[in-house]
Amino acid sequence: MIEIKNLHASIETDDGEAKEIIKGLNLSIPAGEVHAIMGPNGAGKSTLAYILAGRDEYEVTDGSVTFDGQDLLELAPEERAAAGFFLAFQYPVEIPGVNMSMFLKTSINAIRKQRGEDELDALGMLKLIKAKTEELGIANDMMKRAVNVGFSGGEKKRNEVLQMTMLDPKFCVLDETDSGLDIDALKIVAEGVNRLRGEGKSFLVITHYQRLLDYIKPDVVHIMADGKIVKTGGPELAIELEEKGYAGFIGKAA
Amino acid sequence: MSALLLQQDNLPTQKEEDWKYTNLSRALGDLKSLPAEDVQEILIHKTCGEVGGKVEDIVWTGVDGQHQNIRLKIILDEGAELTLIERHEGRGAYWKNMSTEIVLGANARLNHIRIQDDALEAVQTNMVHITMERDAYLNSFSLNIGGKLTRHDIHVILNGSNIDCSLNGVNLLKDKQHGDTTILMEHIAPHCLSNQFYRTILDDESRGVFQGKVHVHKDAQKTDGYQLSNTLLLSPKCEMDTKPELEIYADDVKCSHGATTGQLDEEPLFYLRSRGLSEAQARILLVQAFVDAVVDKILDETLRTELKEKMGNWLAIALKSNG
Repeated sequence: MIEIKNLHASIETDDGEAKEIIKGLNLSIPAGEVHAIMGPNGAGKSTLAYILAGRDEYEVTDGSVTFDGQDLLELAPEERAAAGFFLAFQYPVEIPGVNMSMFLKTSINAIRKQRGEDELDALGMLKLIKAKTEELGIANDMMKRAVNVGFSGGEKKRNEVLQMTMLDPKFCVLDETDSGLDIDALKIVAEGVNRLRGEGKSFLVITHYQRLLDYIKPDVVHIMADGKIVKTGGPELAIELEEKGYAGFIGKAA
Repeated sequence: MSALLLQQDNLPTQKEEDWKYTNLSRALGDLKSLPAEDVQEILIHKTCGEVGGKVEDIVWTGVDGQHQNIRLKIILDEGAELTLIERHEGRGAYWKNMSTEIVLGANARLNHIRIQDDALEAVQTNMVHITMERDAYLNSFSLNIGGKLTRHDIHVILNGSNIDCSLNGVNLLKDKQHGDTTILMEHIAPHCLSNQFYRTILDDESRGVFQGKVHVHKDAQKTDGYQLSNTLLLSPKCEMDTKPELEIYADDVKCSHGATTGQLDEEPLFYLRSRGLSEAQARILLVQAFVDAVVDKILDETLRTELKEKMGNWLAIALKSNG
């Protein structure tokens, strides 16, 4: 599904110098698999997520990302979305003045149009929104509120999962979607992911906490440090990490 | 005191502090020396308790080569209600020299919507004087989209307690348009609420001015006085001058003022694009939401829809030309 080879990327610092953050990262996720990435702060996990989504403040200096046979890095962010890439943001962005139903409608139809599908009419849209919000236990009045404005932490994360289920992606990156959630909200997020997983979609789950992996069982766990994957293993790796801490894997206390 | 028309032989200059950013004399050019047409006077007077949701819809059309003098006077006696829609249009170069006087008696209610779409070579000056008595209500919205230079000079006196006064507006300016809104809100009596909420979008080499002052006199305890001006710059050559001021002599009040000027934030733009919207689509959605926040203060839904459509057309053209 997605193949990242020798990825190097940097960001321009305030004093105008390029600072390398991703330093030769390799990662391959086949269709239908869930991979988890764990790692200390500053390892470059969120940077990786943003690069995959197409944020232009990062410059890819070397390497490649192939997604479903396409060169992902060549695509604009909206083209990536249409191709089936989805990022659940660590910090979902507030959009004052744009209400949820307007936002979802515009987003879904923009993607359908790019995919060469007919746009959904008002009734079809209403049905889809109703079905998916019920599935995720989201109150319907959230649809009248401005996107993420005044949402609690749990509501913001649930909103990301709602969009994920509505936009029908093939590959999703969850950037710390579990951070700050209580156990009930965490279960709802995990159920959303597990439902999609059953449909053959792939996931990259970025997390700090082993707890999430009790609910979303990963096929593979990677440990990332200093811009690279330093160790890859099965689900047991996350438990080992919980016990030993990062120091045992990257040779220094984190 | 009443609202006075500007006199062509005694024009304000930039040496006067509140005219610092606006060069009226230069914008008028040859129009300055045109003989003034006869003053048009319009008086709308609703007597005590006259209600029934009556809507007045007036249109003023500017005529090329004229110096027009217009005096609009609106008097609502105690308990009267009115919705007034005031439209401005025209063709060619003209000076629409206008004064507006609004007198709201106790418990009177006025919804005032002003759509200023004068010709792009025209100058409009409007000296506004508003007095409100106890329990009166004013909800005013002003769209400034036309004119080479416009100056909206609003002086409000809140004379009695429990007044609710909102002055809202949207300015959409392009080319070399210059739009100036200058407000003096005087809280004389206690327990009044005043709100100023203006949003401006500047394109090309246009220039916006917002000067708003809330003056709370010493007896005006429990005043709520708010003022906000937000500006979005679409081009590197446009300019916004803002001067928010508070002058407070009472000691138990809630007042705030704020002014922001900047470009569209990258973060929401990226968030929307990551959800499949093209860059152009995302920009239009965000900019529209920016101005809709003010338009949503208009109570009448038909008018809101009309204004959103008008602004939507303007934005579509402006954002298209900016790629």
